[in-house]
Amino acid sequence: MATMHLPKFEHLCPTSIEEAAQLLGSYGDNARLVAGGTDLFPRMKQGLTRPEVVISLKGLSIDPPRVSREGDLYINALMPLADIARSPEVQKKAPMLAEAITSVGSNQIRHMGTLGGNICLENRCTYYNQSHSFQFVEPCFKRAGDRCYLIPKGKKCVAVFTADTVPALICLAAKMEIVAAGSSRQLPVEKLYTGNALSPLALSPGEIISEVIIANPRTVQGTAFTKFSLRGGVEFAGLTVAVCLEMANGTGTCSAARITVGAVSAGPVRASKAEKAMAGETLSDKLFQKITEMVAGEIRPVMHHGYSGPFLRECLKVQTYRTLALGAERAGQYRKK
Amino acid sequence: MKRLIELNINGETCELAVEPSATLAEVIRDQVGLTGTKVACGTGECGTCTVLIDGRPILSCLTLAVDCQKQAILTIEGLSEGETLTPVQQAFHDCGAIQCGFCTPGMVLSTTALLKSNPRPSTPEIQKALEGHLCRCTGYNKILEAVQQAAGAVAPKTKQKT
Repeated sequence: MATMHLPKFEHLCPTSIEEAAQLLGSYGDNARLVAGGTDLFPRMKQGLTRPEVVISLKGLSIDPPRVSREGDLYINALMPLADIARSPEVQKKAPMLAEAITSVGSNQIRHMGTLGGNICLENRCTYYNQSHSFQFVEPCFKRAGDRCYLIPKGKKCVAVFTADTVPALICLAAKMEIVAAGSSRQLPVEKLYTGNALSPLALSPGEIISEVIIANPRTVQGTAFTKFSLRGGVEFAGLTVAVCLEMANGTGTCSAARITVGAVSAGPVRASKAEKAMAGETLSDKLFQKITEMVAGEIRPVMHHGYSGPFLRECLKVQTYRTLALGAERAGQYRKK
Repeated sequence: MKRLIELNINGETCELAVEPSATLAEVIRDQVGLTGTKVACGTGECGTCTVLIDGRPILSCLTLAVDCQKQAILTIEGLSEGETLTPVQQAFHDCGAIQCGFCTPGMVLSTTALLKSNPRPSTPEIQKALEGHLCRCTGYNKILEAVQQAAGAVAPKTKQKT
């Protein structure tokens, strides 16, 4: 394949996030933000998006992660993933986030890509994410057409959301600071995802994620993140599971649990029934087996990237069990037999 | 419209007129004329276009040249001093970690960055640092050996004479 070039665009380089938000607001749909560029530029080269204006965020200053007096962790959304993963503050306060970051893309991509960029990763599909010259004649739903090539009789787009950091952030109950021209608001990461593959993010036009905030945990937590992929590197997830077990102090009892599964649908999914069933239970192998069945019962993975639905359901069981056992082990309450 | 920019490549300042849409890889190869940086996939999967910017390995095919001003860009041409190879380059040479050589500039630069931040990496750490580089010739074992030799973890292989 011949080397692909980027289509022409106007390049703007604001020096503050307010200025960037103002520019984004005034150009609207014609403009795209670029931080690391590892998601946007391949898509532009493949002809999947053609913004007239690219607003580069590389001129903005980035503060390192900090811990407030209350123990809350603040991470600048523009910080490259590699820097977050090796930040001592993040490793201490949110080890699961560092763990999830290490599974993103490749070393170079982690040095370029940012946390905000990973949160806003575009949904993917085997058929959609191909160069224009390889595309099928009639456009699919995500290319503003009227068909799905993955599920021929499908009535809607099923492109999956594959960002690795997001299930971890949801389990850590992370919030985001969102900046727009003249205003700002906070939103839990979980509320960002619409579940609609055509417009996956609930961001209004002109809004930028500026910071991610992880509150100080109130109890001992056992957290774990696992990712299933075929090669184990430079690959989008086949399936990710993140688990956060909050322990009642000094006992083997789980007071509350959060289980989030990624890359199985158009947005990350919480296994809410299974979470309820874990509250107040003593951690044990038997419990994990029961919870694993519940998670597989309430979440139906869509087929994607060559993985069939039934395969992903079996995979979901295995990954959920492993992640729960790892989380419990880290909570110091359970040893794997 | 083209824009005038200054890039610091291998310690030298280059004044260039570039399109905002020109990637760093295109500018380094076609305008500056340093063709040691290779481009294969153009979408960030293969790692051949890796260069170091302020010491960190990045993909020059997904970086805009206009965004790289006031940063120190290091390409494979900037590593050796004349004909004296760096220990990493020498190790790649000694271990037979180069066959067709297309992935080598990226591999060597990533290894250089790795050994600077972590002088004695473990095997999994080396694999993690080089996961973004594809090599279709060597099967990776010789590259792994080369990095270990450059890190001083194994005794240097003597050059085989034929």
